[in-house]
Amino acid sequence: MFSALSSLQPRQFLTQILNFALVLSTAFMLWKGLSVITDSPSPIVVVLSGSMEPAFQRGDLLFLWNRGMDTQIGEVVVYNVKGKDIPIVHRVVRRFGGGEQPLKLLTKGDNNLADDTELYARGQDYLERSQDIIGSVVGYVPFVGYVTILLSEHPWLKTVMLGIMGVMVVLQRE
Amino acid sequence: MSSQKIAVYSLSDLKNTTDDALPNYLTSLKFRQSHHLIDVRLALGYSAVVIAAITFYADWKLGWDKTKYGTFWAVLVYFVLNGALTFWIWGVERGKVFVGDIEHRDAGRNTISMASSVTKHTPIYNLTVAYTNPKGEEKRLELSSPFTRWFDADGFFIAKPFQQWLASEVPLIGQIDTKNKIGNPKANGTSEATAVVVEQKIDTQTPKKTTGREMAPPSTRARKGRKAADR
Repeated sequence: MFSALSSLQPRQFLTQILNFALVLSTAFMLWKGLSVITDSPSPIVVVLSGSMEPAFQRGDLLFLWNRGMDTQIGEVVVYNVKGKDIPIVHRVVRRFGGGEQPLKLLTKGDNNLADDTELYARGQDYLERSQDIIGSVVGYVPFVGYVTILLSEHPWLKTVMLGIMGVMVVLQRE
Repeated sequence: MSSQKIAVYSLSDLKNTTDDALPNYLTSLKFRQSHHLIDVRLALGYSAVVIAAITFYADWKLGWDKTKYGTFWAVLVYFVLNGALTFWIWGVERGKVFVGDIEHRDAGRNTISMASSVTKHTPIYNLTVAYTNPKGEEKRLELSSPFTRWFDADGFFIAKPFQQWLASEVPLIGQIDTKNKIGNPKANGTSEATAVVVEQKIDTQTPKKTTGREMAPPSTRARKGRKAADR
């Protein structure tokens, strides 16, 4: 299989490697481009829990927008809690400040009984709009995010997929 | 590469093997190959990849907030470079498989470029040859030939008929490689007759095929071979 590679001229070999690198880097830079446009570190997220049912199910793909800083009550936002890795999707139920003062928000999952004070970091009882929020939900596609749930719950699948992609691109000459 | 067996029904295999054989033949005739097209392509491509790699590393180390403005410029430059690369491949390279020149005692100094192409599902090799003679006159030729001319039924590339094809169709190559030039280069349409002769020659060169046909009753492989030869 790899004899096909070793018989290539150095320039042809570099071209094959380049094709593979371009596939990966283009995907990454498109993602970063979307980040720049939406001003969000993570412009597309997948719902991991059922806490927002029936609005969003596990596996829904959400599109975020982080340029409207004056978030209103009723908007669904995604936020990061300091010290925790996984972003949370919940609805804004109360807001304080705004205008001159920094905007502070309280959130709650539609399917949860209590608001999110429990989920916030120790001693934190509201979210800072400018720091904690990574975007408001502006659109969604149901169910397709299940692929990434599978990938994150079985990390070896990622390695396998990346490996298959790499070998295919390097060996193919179309 | 040319000694490798390929699938005769795969058009990209046919084209790639032929594309690889072209520079081999021309450099053996003392053509000097110029690599500047592919070098520019590699430079553009790898610059873009390096920018993406730096962005990735910075994002991983520093996080989003600190790299926001850097990322904006990186994304911009990346896609500009990518666009330039696409333009280079489609607008400048245009399928060129050989660019080079030659200093020859009879023909003088000539520059030559060759671009190959195939039409989908059509096993015909199209070659656009452009060369400039010492007086600065440019000559353009559009050649095409079925791949069966230089591939045998088993998928082996046979260099001789391929070289004869080029030497007979391109006057410059015929002038340099006189022993591969067949008949009068001005007369077209000799290909049918010569192709038959050449294929008989190939049979003696590759005994594998002939013995296979003689010993065994028509197998699938033999049938496949005949079909390809008929075309």
